[in-house]
This record gives sequence, structure tokens and C-alpha cells, in this order.
Amino acid sequence: MGKDQMEIKDICDSLDIRLILQSSRTWDTYRKIHFFQSSKGLHIFHLVRLCGGSKNSGKKLGQDGKEGNHLRSPWSRRKRKCILSFQQWQAFFTPEGKLRDSGIKLLKKVRSGVGYKSCDFNYDLTSSKEERDVIKTQKREEYENLRRICRQLHKHNDDSNLNRTRETSNGDDGSSTDCMYSLSSEDVVSARESLSSEERFLPFNEDSKWTDGTKVNGYTKSKQTTDSNMASDSESMDSNSSEVLELSQAFNFSEHEEDNTNGIHSKEDLSPYNEEVQSKPRISEDFVMWRRIILLDAIRANEEWIAYSVIQATVSVAKARRSAEIVGLKDYDHLDPCRIFHASRLVAILEAYALYDPEIGYCQGMSDLLSPIISVIREDHMAFWCFVGFMKKARHNFRLDEVGIRRQLNIVSKIIKYKDSHLYRHLEKLQAEDCFFVYRMVLVLFRRELTFEQTLCLWEVIWADQAAIRSGIGKSAWSKIRQRAPPTEDLLLYAIAASILQRRKKIIAKYSSMDEILRECNAMAGHLDVWKLLDTAHDLVMTLHDKVETSL
Amino acid sequence: MDEDCDYLFKAVLIGDSAVGKSNLLYRFAKDEFFLDSKPTIGVEFAYRSIKVGDKIIKAQIWDTAGQERFRAITSSYYRGALGALLVYDITRKSTFESLKKWLKELREFGGPEMVVVLVGNKSDLLHSREVNLEDGRSLATLEQVSFMETSAKENLNVEEAFLHMIHRIYETTSQKSLETKTTTSDQSTDLKTLQGNREIIYIDEVSATKQPSSC
Repeated sequence: MGKDQMEIKDICDSLDIRLILQSSRTWDTYRKIHFFQSSKGLHIFHLVRLCGGSKNSGKKLGQDGKEGNHLRSPWSRRKRKCILSFQQWQAFFTPEGKLRDSGIKLLKKVRSGVGYKSCDFNYDLTSSKEERDVIKTQKREEYENLRRICRQLHKHNDDSNLNRTRETSNGDDGSSTDCMYSLSSEDVVSARESLSSEERFLPFNEDSKWTDGTKVNGYTKSKQTTDSNMASDSESMDSNSSEVLELSQAFNFSEHEEDNTNGIHSKEDLSPYNEEVQSKPRISEDFVMWRRIILLDAIRANEEWIAYSVIQATVSVAKARRSAEIVGLKDYDHLDPCRIFHASRLVAILEAYALYDPEIGYCQGMSDLLSPIISVIREDHMAFWCFVGFMKKARHNFRLDEVGIRRQLNIVSKIIKYKDSHLYRHLEKLQAEDCFFVYRMVLVLFRRELTFEQTLCLWEVIWADQAAIRSGIGKSAWSKIRQRAPPTEDLLLYAIAASILQRRKKIIAKYSSMDEILRECNAMAGHLDVWKLLDTAHDLVMTLHDKVETSL
Repeated sequence: MDEDCDYLFKAVLIGDSAVGKSNLLYRFAKDEFFLDSKPTIGVEFAYRSIKVGDKIIKAQIWDTAGQERFRAITSSYYRGALGALLVYDITRKSTFESLKKWLKELREFGGPEMVVVLVGNKSDLLHSREVNLEDGRSLATLEQVSFMETSAKENLNVEEAFLHMIHRIYETTSQKSLETKTTTSDQSTDLKTLQGNREIIYIDEVSATKQPSSC
């Protein structure tokens, strides 16, 4: 081990992380994997080093502005090679765990391609560790509540299906929503039973000492944490008396939205997009369909993540099967335990999301978005809230009325139009100026075109931009480096436009129909250089950002 | 795209999620099968050229996403489609029950002369069959469409289903083009007659199916 490696090993030791070295892996991969796994002290942001490189060419933190007038992309090669050391990482925080400068420095760094897991952008960048822990506890309970309702719905639908088949032999379209209104106490009890069994099972309980162990203080009502045994049963039964009421309220979808007695979650929390929900009783019917598709998609999930998440990849058969049983996974016998486990987690979180955001529910493609997140975050409730944060923007793409996706395609079209009128005219000639051919890229954020690693890379840069805008950095501090590239909500779309523009010659010279462009786009998978893409995207943002914004 | 073929036919694959649409296409276009092929997002397509009589027909088969959510955006892909394979999964009754909805959509977006073949896929999974062969057959009779049970996995009837559709498209369109020829000297827009190419069946795999995981 070199000096670098020793340094990392020390860090890992201090974080209770077992360092496993295999000769086939490069050091940088290790660094990443272990930062993925580490949480203690780093639990706000999981550091990820996304690309290897020599230290010599790395630029030190704080030298950003000193490159003269030469306009360079924040993702230019030289810079992206610098690796954040643990000390550098820590330097972003005050002793209370607050981000210094409201996170400006950190975000700048991340935008420059120094990767880290930005899932917890959910938190206010100015929060301290303590504040974040309180939120985390609250959010965990909210998530568990959602899961509870999901299980209740399964049971309910199973029952009503049974009844239906018993009563009428062929009631295919009949709505089962009416049954939603009568929930027997028997149902509630059995839901609790299955809940406690789910509580007994928490992903990576035994491995996650360093994550939960440190945060149990202040979490006195803890139903589960470090212990993977069943100690929590009696406790959860106690705390459940109020939940019976709550649960039945949730089931009745009562109109008393202010009725927020026990404070675990209000109706508003449960469905933040209430105003868009048209008819609540329909939820149940749709939920059945969503669940059906979720179960099918979960077992078809990509397995690329396995190499990047050692712990999850080595899950035991028993644990995997147990997790599958809990969520009711089907037809998974041909899968490896780690994929069964992954699929089960996908189901749990996607179902909870469908309930949380019933306007969107579940739409294919969402599992593509969630899979990388759960590969990095081992706690379901954390992953869920990260996903919720992620979906705040992405959800619009999945809307039934397609307003969101059309808007996005329109922006891509505008970018191409302003950048390359020749290409745009060609697209017009082929009636392809609506840019439908990039549909998949928009919907799953390049997940199908890029590798796992590249995807995380790109997403992090995109999220950092969005976080920068949310915290108002774009307007103030960032304006100083505005000539570089202002942070934009739509970096993804610039990157997509970049991928098309990179192929302009071919498109203009060879393609005479929209089909051929679509084929070209589908064939990009595995042939994209994420950094080149970001470089081109950066140029586009620099020259076109204002024009595109004002034209919308 | 129009190299070496006498006709170019466009057809679509439709049906609920995970009934095996993409795998039917893989099997037909590339003779491949992927147990865990990912859900199709948006649309993809593949080509295969076949010989019917002395004509080379290039079939362009569009593979669409199964979830209803994608309908509005994928429905534009019915444009110009002469045939459709309407697929359900014999191990899941719900996919059979959705057929009504799909047929309705076909009538709405597809042309009146669209050739429809009803396909019950996954016929290898006999032990978990939920839809009887008879049910499929009688629905097909009722709706006046052709019917076949297939297994993309075991490569049963896949070729037959596609070829049946293509032959029937050929029959209807060549009749139509004969009719149009009597009035105008031009070809109908959906047909393209080129220099005759005497090569026997050649398979043109396209990029859309090159990535096994892209579907």
C-alpha cells in the first residue's frame, strides 16, 4: 500500500469499514466503494470518487478561479482528476456538522466533477448534524407508515380479489374501490403482524452499526436499529394503538386533512401533490396495477450495481428470500440472492412512492432511477427520501398528461435550434424537430445509455446544479463565475442536446427519416463519454442558457 | 433503409408490460432471448428481411412500452403500421383481460386494413398457465384476427407468427397496390418497389437490438 492507500485505510478503520482488497480492482474503485459504504461522520454526503487519475495533475481546492480568462468547462479533464481527501471533505463542515459557506464551496467542487453521493440534498444546506438527525428520525417513521399502508393494501386487494372471484366469475372491469371503505380490525391487526416481521428485517442491520449506532441518541422511540433479532416486537405493538386510527383514516381517505393528531404524518405529508389528485378512491384500483408492474420490473432490474456495492452483493440467500416474501416478490427463482434482495428493496420503495405521490404512482422507468440510489444507500427509508427528492423534478416526466416530458423535449429542440440551425432544418424536414428520439434519455436520465458509474457521475453533477439553484447560489456567489457556466435546472437537456450535436454530421448526411435518428440514439448505449458530453453541454449552457430560458 | 428490398412493411408489437414483446422481437430479428430484458422505454425497433415469392420484404417491427402511461406518446407509432402483433402472457390472466383495451386502441389508431395477429406468449410455462388455448382462440375468432401461441424462450411459433402477419400484409397490400396501379402509375406510399434483389432471406439486425439490455 502506498501513502494514499494507507490514508484511506486509516479512514476506513476509523469508520469501522473493513477494507477488502482484491488485486483485480484499481485503488480508485476501492476508494469509491468504501466511501459508498461509509456513513459515520460522512452520512450527510456519501463521498464518491468517480474517476481515477494522477494526483499530479490535480488542482487543489480553492484554486478554481485562478485559471486566467481562459474559459474552461467546470468539468475539464485536469480538474476532474483531483481527489478529495478525507481532510478536504471534512473541511467543508463546521464542528457541528454544518456546511461552511452554506455549501457553496462544496457544490462548486461537485460541479467540477468531484463526485459524491448527493442524495441528501434533501436537507437544507445550512442545517447542522443534529437538525438533520431529527429530520431523519421523523422521515423514517413517515416511510414506515407508508410501508404499513402498502401492506394493508396488498392484503386488502388479495382479499377482495378472492371475494370477487368467488362471487362473480368474470367481473373484469368491476371496481373494487368500495371495499376500501370498510376496513375490519382484523385487517389492521394482521397488518401489524406483518409489519413487525418486516421491522425485524431491516436491510443490512447487522452491517450497519456505524450508520445507526451513532444516531440512536435522540431516537428513543427506536423500533429497530442495530439488532437484527426480534426485540422490537412488543415495542411496536405498544406504539401502534394510535396507528390503528391513523391507518383507517388513511384507508378511508377521509376528507379531514387537518386531522393530524398524532403528528407522525399529516395527510399533506402523505401526498404532497394533493392538489393534483383528482379522485382519491381511485388510488386503490391504480395501486393494484402499479404493484403488478413494479413486481415485474423489479426482477428485471439491471445488475450492474453489484460490482459497486460489495455488502449488498453478498447478501445471504435466507435474507434475500425473506425480503422477497415480505414484499410478495414473484418469479424470482432464477435470480441470484443479491438480485432478489435488490428487487425486493425496489418493490418496497417504489410502492411506498406510488402511495406517497398517487398522481404519478408508478411508471416504468422509475425503477431505473431508483436502482442506483438503493445500490448506494443501504437503508430503505433513506433511499426512499432520496428518491422522493430526486423525483421532485423527474416526476413531471412521468405525468399522465405528458406536459412535463413534452416541455423537456421542447427545450432540447430549442437548444438544437439555437446552436445548429442547419441540423434543425434537417430535423424539420424529417418531421423530427419534436426530438422525440431522445425520449428515453430524458425519461431515465441517460441511465440506459451510460454505465452505472457514468450515470452516477452525470447525475451528481446535475443534482449539484439543481441544489445550487435551490439554495440561491446561482444568483449570488455563482454569478462571479458566471462566464464559466451558470448552474441550470436543465443540465440534463443540454447534455442530451450535446449527444445529438456530436452526431450532427452523420444525421445530416446519412439519415433521411426520424426512425434512423431514433435508431442512432438507441445505439448510443455504451458509446458515450460522459465527460465529453458534459464539456459540450457546458459550452451550450454558456452560449445558449439565457436565450433558451427566455424563449420558454 | 430502402436498400435491397422490394417492400418495406411497418408493424407494431403491442400488449401489456412484461408479456414478452421485446423478446419476441429479439427472437425474430436476431434469434436471441434474454430472460431479464429490461422494460422498454418509449419505442425501439428492429428489421428483418424475408422473401415472399420472388419479392424481398423488409419488415420494420416497432417495439413499444407496455404501460398505459406511454400510450399517447407511442400511439403516434401506429402511423403507417400495416400490421400488429397483439401479445398477452398465457401465465397472467390480467394481460388477457387487457386485450379489449388494446383492440380498441388498435381500431382507433391503426388503419382499417391493419393485419392483427393475437399472440399468447410464454407457452413454455405450461404449469403456470392461466389462459386456456381455447380462450385465446375464441377471442381471436370473435375479433376476426389470427391467433397463435408462442414461446420466445423456446423459439416456438415465433417465426410463424411474424411470417403469418407479413404474408397477410403482403397479400392485402399487393392487392391494394394492384388496385392503385389501375388508377395511377405511382406506388402507394407504403410500398416501395426497387430493383429486384434475388438474395434469399437475409437478416438485418439493427442497433436497436444490439444492446441486449436496451429493451
